[in-house]
Amino acid sequence: MSETSLITAAPGASARKRINGIDIFMWVLRCAVAAIALFGTVATLLEGRYSLAQWFDFAMFGLTLGSVYALIALGYTMVYGVLRMINFAHGDITMTGAFAGYFVATGASRSGLLAAHPILAILAIFTIAMVTCIAVALATERFAYRPFRNSPGQAPLICAIGVSFVLEQTVRGMFGSGVKSYPVTPWQDAVVTPLGMRIPVINLFVMGCAISAMVILYLIVHRTRMGMAMRAVSEDKAAASLMGVDVDRVVVFAFALGGAMAGVASVCYALIYQQVHFFMGFAPGIKAFGAAVLGGIGSIPGAMVGGMFLGLIEAVGPALFLDGLGITAPYQLRDAIGFLVLLMVLIFRPQGLFGEAMAKKRA
Amino acid sequence: MSVQQDDLDGRLSRHLRRGIVTGAGAALIAIYLGSVGLLAMMNARPVVANVLTLAQTALLAIAFLVGLLSQRTSAKDRSPVFWTAPLAGLVAGLLAAGFASLILSINLRSIFIALTPPLARLLTFGQPGISGAGLLVAGSVVAASAGALYQRLPHKVRRLIFPAALAVLLCGMFQEFIQVILQSNALFRWFAPWFYGWDGLTARGGLTIFAIALAFAALPFLVRRPGGFAGSAGSHPWRRSAPALLVLLLLLLVPIAGGPYIAQVFLLIGLYVLMGMGLNLELGLAGLLDLGFVAFFATGAYITAILTADSPLALAHYTAVPSFPFWAAMPLAVLGAVLMGILFGIPVLGVKGDYLAVATLGLGEIVRIVVQSDAAAPILGGAQGILQIPKPQIGGFQFGSAVSLFYLTLAAAIFAAYCAWRLERSRLGRAWIALREDEDVAQAMGINLVQSKLLAYAFGAAFAGLAGSIFAVMVNSVFPSSFQLLMSINVLALIVVGGLGSLSGVVLGALVLIGLPEALREFGEFRYLFYGLALILTMRLMPEGLWPAGRRRRRIVVPATGARSAQAARP
Amino acid sequence: MTVSKRICKRAFAGAVAYLALAGAAFSQSSEVRIEPGAPIVIGGYWVLSGGDAALGNDQKRGVELAIKDLNGTILNHPVRLLAEDSQCSAEGGQTAATKLASNPAVVGVIGPSCSSEATAAAPILWNAGLVSIGTSATAPSLTAPDRKADYKGFLRTVFSDADQGPADAKWIHDGLKAKTVVTIHDGSPYTQQLTAEMAKTFTGLGGKIASQEAVAPTDVDMRPLLARIATEKPDAVYVPIFVPATAQILKQAKQTPGLEKVAFIGGGGTMSPDIMDAAGDAVIGFYGAFPDVTPEAQGKDYPKLLQNYQDEYGEAPTSGFVANAYDALTLLRMALEKSAKTEADGTVVVDKKALHDALFTIKFSGMSGDISCTADGQCSAFKPGIYQYQSADRSSFAIGTNPKKIYP
Repeated sequence: MSETSLITAAPGASARKRINGIDIFMWVLRCAVAAIALFGTVATLLEGRYSLAQWFDFAMFGLTLGSVYALIALGYTMVYGVLRMINFAHGDITMTGAFAGYFVATGASRSGLLAAHPILAILAIFTIAMVTCIAVALATERFAYRPFRNSPGQAPLICAIGVSFVLEQTVRGMFGSGVKSYPVTPWQDAVVTPLGMRIPVINLFVMGCAISAMVILYLIVHRTRMGMAMRAVSEDKAAASLMGVDVDRVVVFAFALGGAMAGVASVCYALIYQQVHFFMGFAPGIKAFGAAVLGGIGSIPGAMVGGMFLGLIEAVGPALFLDGLGITAPYQLRDAIGFLVLLMVLIFRPQGLFGEAMAKKRA
Repeated sequence: MSVQQDDLDGRLSRHLRRGIVTGAGAALIAIYLGSVGLLAMMNARPVVANVLTLAQTALLAIAFLVGLLSQRTSAKDRSPVFWTAPLAGLVAGLLAAGFASLILSINLRSIFIALTPPLARLLTFGQPGISGAGLLVAGSVVAASAGALYQRLPHKVRRLIFPAALAVLLCGMFQEFIQVILQSNALFRWFAPWFYGWDGLTARGGLTIFAIALAFAALPFLVRRPGGFAGSAGSHPWRRSAPALLVLLLLLLVPIAGGPYIAQVFLLIGLYVLMGMGLNLELGLAGLLDLGFVAFFATGAYITAILTADSPLALAHYTAVPSFPFWAAMPLAVLGAVLMGILFGIPVLGVKGDYLAVATLGLGEIVRIVVQSDAAAPILGGAQGILQIPKPQIGGFQFGSAVSLFYLTLAAAIFAAYCAWRLERSRLGRAWIALREDEDVAQAMGINLVQSKLLAYAFGAAFAGLAGSIFAVMVNSVFPSSFQLLMSINVLALIVVGGLGSLSGVVLGALVLIGLPEALREFGEFRYLFYGLALILTMRLMPEGLWPAGRRRRRIVVPATGARSAQAARP
Repeated sequence: MTVSKRICKRAFAGAVAYLALAGAAFSQSSEVRIEPGAPIVIGGYWVLSGGDAALGNDQKRGVELAIKDLNGTILNHPVRLLAEDSQCSAEGGQTAATKLASNPAVVGVIGPSCSSEATAAAPILWNAGLVSIGTSATAPSLTAPDRKADYKGFLRTVFSDADQGPADAKWIHDGLKAKTVVTIHDGSPYTQQLTAEMAKTFTGLGGKIASQEAVAPTDVDMRPLLARIATEKPDAVYVPIFVPATAQILKQAKQTPGLEKVAFIGGGGTMSPDIMDAAGDAVIGFYGAFPDVTPEAQGKDYPKLLQNYQDEYGEAPTSGFVANAYDALTLLRMALEKSAKTEADGTVVVDKKALHDALFTIKFSGMSGDISCTADGQCSAFKPGIYQYQSADRSSFAIGTNPKKIYP
């Protein structure tokens, strides 16, 4: 297909034919990606480089990382669901929670609390991180987003990008640009071995956190009065406010929920990967944003599935698809595979896995 | 609080509260500046040499603003009283003094790395103990009172003083930036010593600048003829194009006069203007949010590199293709970017809104990751990039300097602006706008969605490819690390800050958002803090951008008022 | 026509004429005169913003500490460091360099941190007569014998990848007796080049490079990669990248079957106490390849520099390049003292060409090892050293004992 044909063709008459051309291109694209993936997979499996136990490990660690993505994605989704606005700074809000948790954790570690009463200490870390994230999220909402509540266009997005820079640089200025390390406790290295599979407790813990967070959010949104108000605001702000819903309160509540999710995500991230630094929110933030869209932004189960799926693809993808093709340094392409899968999903389902069709939402 | 309750007690407590709240707010800002390390950094920068450092100016300015704000009339407080200002100053001063003594008595450094004893000394003007705290409180009260007095001055006087003070502040704050310009040529160098010494703006220089700025501010009062000026303006066609011509003339001359550094900055701004105009077609006209725009820029840069470079990675090195001159490579780079745009556009044709943002972001990242990867290194150089790209030449003249490359960019930008301007007013441009407003309606009106969308991507990509091509010869090399997501975000930010859909807005946005970080380059680690604050403030104060497009403005008003009335109806 | 319009027009015409005239008067001088009381201005450019900010910040602070150790003066003039942010990108380096080059008070420039910055910036600085001394730009091409004339003004107090890579390869082959090695880089030009140089020499020595892997600096889940490496059954893994990714690799390797006992060798990017915190106990046994800067080899006190750093900035440096930056300032200072002429009234005259020539005659023993410049601008005579971490206790960090020097 050449571009000149696109430019010179008269609109209307040949539209049908051209769309067919595009359709063919799309099918070729899909088939090519599928064929490469399939070929790579078969080649990898025939090569037999990895044992079944290793594949299981990959999947488990992928799902763990996916749980963190899912938790961050839940934050994006809460805000998007109510406001139809991308909270671009959400990754950096997560980062502030990780820092707050870090200071509590080192304090607890120095005073011996972490060793003596680990559950109490972990609870304290989670609480402080969540409180910090909620506070930052609410402050952001109040000063940066509320003024744009009713204005369409890209202004809120740009403002959110500005907030992202400010948060990063504030943390860098206050706490330094080095990498800080969470203290390690023995139980973080504990392992359970059901059916002969080695599973670190911490991974189960993080996955458990993500799933329970999702369930709690789901119950809040679908079973409480506040949740009903949120859904109402999500459908139509003006009508909801006419029905007596306090839109400001609902939005604040959504941001608080998103902040709480960010707090949980940050501590989970820190517990597994044990590193915090001022730039840490950016990459997971972007990926979780992708995960939220993959699942259908605004949908709670969607964010969960999207996050898990992205984590899984990142962990298994390079080994499964690229190893067999003999590509050098396949792990460098990990993110590219993640984004490619995201794109393929969007091509098949432009509204994400669990999303409603866009046309309905634009009311 | 209802109006009936507005007795003396209520008013008193309200004033009291206002004073305390504004004072505490000011103290919080000062504490924030201190704990992110900004105050310490600003203290190393004089505004007026040996008289006033930037940190002191900032602290005084905060107290001054507090006094000023405490005198503003608002819906809640129609008759502010003077004493709220010193009260606010007192509160701010006391809190800041408490903060300073906290730093001195408890070692917080293991958490907050910027909270050092020197910071505390800075806050208390170098005086120890009680006298320092007293000085801080007194200074804060005086500055706040001065702010209150200023607010009570007649409007005309304020319009004279404010620009003059601002001019001195800017000349002091950006002294390194200005000095570079002044030092770059002999004529400026001749009068520079009057204004600037070794360590910054001199006292006499500051006074001179104040006087000059005052005179300039007074100019309109002196020469304006009563009535006639405003009435005759507007309709005359010369008047509408005059600002544009003026800007153009300035653009032509400033790089020569300002030396190579200014030329370099303007060159960068020019490249961003090119990209901004491209994205403006996609987003401003056709409404396609694109966060992977940098991919087109990279395509242009890499094609130019591969076709022209004197390196083992150049096509000429391992194929029969001859080495291209820049002038032949540039159109190919643009064409390549256009193809990329179409390839980019086809998969995401059906994707809309925020989904499109993520899809394009993903495409942009895929391009960067692949270019950087070892897998593609044999062709694209991987992390090491492609080096030794020659500068463009015409006959014997080489576009070697930043100044000459700037003119090349300017020519390209003018050409692109003309194209964009024509496109906007063409059948295609109207189709894009219809598409932006409502896809379904546009389709029903007989607009070919597929064609219009792909053309939007293609044209947008063409502009970015052109910019990328010039970029490659500007740095003589291409590295994958240059094509980060941040660049796409910058381009998006500049067209939104400038005003979506407006060509002048793109230029203004690029001047502000690319020029500002350049002016702040010496502030190193803090410049993205300022950048972020600038984004938030601009969007808060002018949500439609600095120079909104007329057509768009009409559109936005309708839903905004509708929503507002709905809000007002809330119980 | 109104009065104001006429005034504006005339003022504008005047301004245009003036600007045109001013442009023509542009010139560049070959010497810098520093009058009594005036500061000696030294330029600097590093990555100070974005994700790599820590790297550049380290080096900027290394120069600041060196200036502080001189009590802030050179030749009885106060020293001012003009540090610009160059973003670890070619265009950032170019812009920063153009800015420094157009400041006639600058006598010399220190930096940058990334080779891409240096590639674009060094010619601009040298065309303005300014020398630049790289502090962690290690690409071999920057000081290769066949470098273009534009690069003659570029020197560096950091070793070249072409020195370090082969030296590391030799030790891994002869000292560690490894037969099969896997390399990992993080996609930055520095680490990519270093691993490539190492692999080239190692293969030449008869060893086998099982694969050359790469990660992204922001990756946290390294297990799939490590599992892949484990299937190649290497004797050693060469991973000269930075603290965050290295720490993840070390920790997760301990949990990867088949890699528990494999030797990991890092580079200058991890020569900091940060790695001990970040990797925890997994750091024990980790090798670091870094010049021999132990007290007994140098009689110098790199640990003291680290302590000063901690006292001054409230945190530890994130890599070992703080020492290279410190030495760059020392080198520039000594060359200034040697080449600059002091007039009777205290005015110091720096001839940029003489300064450039003087740099090549300086020899001293610095924080990062012996410094003396070859004709191609390579000033850090790479003296290979291999260290091994003994414990993860941050307070015990002292190059020589922990990490303990095991070679030579």
